[in-house]
Amino acid sequence: MAVVDLKAPAVEPVVLDVAGTPVAMRRKGSGRPLLFLHGAGFTGRWLRFHEALAQGADVIAPEHIGFGGTPLQDWLDGFDDLVLHYDDVRAALGLDEPFDLVGYSLGGWIAAAYAIFYPERLRSLTLITPAGLPLEGQSVVDLFHMGPEELFGTLFNDPANIGEVAPDPEDIDAAVKGYEEASTTARLVWERRDDPKMPRRLRRVTCPALVVGAEHDRLVPDEAVDRYAQALPDGRTVRIPGTGHALIIEQPGAVAKAILDFQEGVR
Amino acid sequence: MNEMQFFHFGLMPYPFIPPGEEIQSTWVTLSNRHYDPKVGARLYREYLDQAVLAEKLGYDGTCVNEHHQNAYGTMPDPNVMGSQIVARTSRIPVGIIGNALPLHSNPVRVAEAVAMLDVLSEGRIISGFVRGTGMEYHSMRANPAYSRERFWEAHDLIIKAWTDDGPFAWKGKHFDIPYVNPWPKPYQQPHPPIWLPGTGSVETIQEAARRRYPFMMVFAPLSFTKINYELYHRAAEEAGYEASPEQLAFCVPTYVAETDEIAHAEAREHYLWLFHTGLKVPAFQHFPPGYTSGRSLRGMLEGRARFGMKDHWELTYEELIEEQYIIVGSPQTVAEKLNVYAEECGAGIHVGSSMQVGNMPHWKVVKNMTLFAEEVMPHFRPPGNKPAWERGVPLPGAADLVRPVPDPVPA
Repeated sequence: MAVVDLKAPAVEPVVLDVAGTPVAMRRKGSGRPLLFLHGAGFTGRWLRFHEALAQGADVIAPEHIGFGGTPLQDWLDGFDDLVLHYDDVRAALGLDEPFDLVGYSLGGWIAAAYAIFYPERLRSLTLITPAGLPLEGQSVVDLFHMGPEELFGTLFNDPANIGEVAPDPEDIDAAVKGYEEASTTARLVWERRDDPKMPRRLRRVTCPALVVGAEHDRLVPDEAVDRYAQALPDGRTVRIPGTGHALIIEQPGAVAKAILDFQEGVR
Repeated sequence: MNEMQFFHFGLMPYPFIPPGEEIQSTWVTLSNRHYDPKVGARLYREYLDQAVLAEKLGYDGTCVNEHHQNAYGTMPDPNVMGSQIVARTSRIPVGIIGNALPLHSNPVRVAEAVAMLDVLSEGRIISGFVRGTGMEYHSMRANPAYSRERFWEAHDLIIKAWTDDGPFAWKGKHFDIPYVNPWPKPYQQPHPPIWLPGTGSVETIQEAARRRYPFMMVFAPLSFTKINYELYHRAAEEAGYEASPEQLAFCVPTYVAETDEIAHAEAREHYLWLFHTGLKVPAFQHFPPGYTSGRSLRGMLEGRARFGMKDHWELTYEELIEEQYIIVGSPQTVAEKLNVYAEECGAGIHVGSSMQVGNMPHWKVVKNMTLFAEEVMPHFRPPGNKPAWERGVPLPGAADLVRPVPDPVPA
């Protein structure tokens, strides 16, 4: 079983050239390669969650186009662009054997889209409180229609670790960076906050899949976790007690352990 | 005093809503259960009567604009309202300031509607173009991240639709239209003057100056207006010409009465409604992501931190007067304050002269408009106090349309 350490030392990003696009990327750990796709925030640093995963895997954490240290590109306009981009990332990294893909929140949507188009590339798929799946009669809370304070209040059920990611309200650089990242998110999801084609398409994803849910997610409805797992041919769920949508900050060790245990059991 | 033109402009608010401090916003989420259509019909009637009165009193123009899903201004379609004014008047220019281009799925609809109005009015239309407020991107689910791109592409398409013979095919990033061929074409040649009302984004000001489009500052303090006019003047110099007063407009609500005391007593509560309730908008509605650039946001945040700039709804009445978001007083006081825009800022168009605001009753609007026309306007006009349209003065922005637009200066 993986040993989990909650203290995150700094890991500096390197810039990888991906088909002419510079991509900021942090990498640490040994073992099987694990590609982690972040959500719509919490960028620009090596989180305790990354560190916990790196105790059992070779964690590769690129930043999406228009997030953290990866500059925005004119061509970014939809999830298909990101799916193709991440296959270029995979090629640039030389991941020629099936690898473990993990996506959190918005990154879960990207990971699910990637898995639909490139199912043969994956050894396993893990989605953590993933966005993207339409739910009958329910919708994701409008994260663009709230101030930072309300947003963090919605993301966290247990605010004990909020300091790891909450911006200083006086920090103009952080506010501008956050606004620019939100602007990239808007490019992707402003008009449609889910993909109506996703439920049917998920049948293509044949690798073992884990969907990690919070105890109670107040951003993406909890039902999304079960629905994703049902739509994935080899899907299963796990829920992390005491957490909300920000579970990778609230309980980084427990989330990482659930993922590493699952990946270890994949044959 | 320098000459100035005066444009009547009412926002057409629906003021019977809870006060600003009791609601999150007057936009997007304020329930329309507060709207009573019988009351709305009376308000529309009064507002249109005021536009008709503007012609009788010799205002240089009257204006309408576009806002969605709010109580601040109940004109979701400015062309419908413009049509009403065109039908009820005969000579006064009508400024549509403006159609919110990025919110439209097909800009040809805007080209058609404005051309219809221009033909119907036999050339009385000023065609303002705006991006729409941030709030409207929430209300209409238009993507704020593409707002600026869509604005300029729609603008270019409309101008081409008005000036080139159709049919032609438009192939752009946001619009792909195989047959652009609007009937009618505009009455004015080459097309109606274009105005760009704004709140002061550097990108808009520079583009307006390059194209010689009149630029209008909206609800800004005098100090901020000055800074933005300087930007316009500089951009005009870079484009090889000197900006003229008819290119610089300011929308500053103005109330005039017999004395300063009477003016303040009559105006105060209505201006407080406009700023504290009508403009009660949280930042996340005002600036949805991508609506403004990171660079502009930084400028705004630094400005707030350095100069202690406040949101509209946080300003006291005294601050509104002192920083000149509004002008209130006797004819002499109002004329002196307006003259600062003419003399110090080189501005030549006052929009919102004696406008109805908030819950201001009809009688006050009529009184204000009448006094303004009779006692303030003569300070800024040749003897006879005749409006520009009786003196044969072209519409602001019309004369420059025949000049070629220089290439943009590389950033």
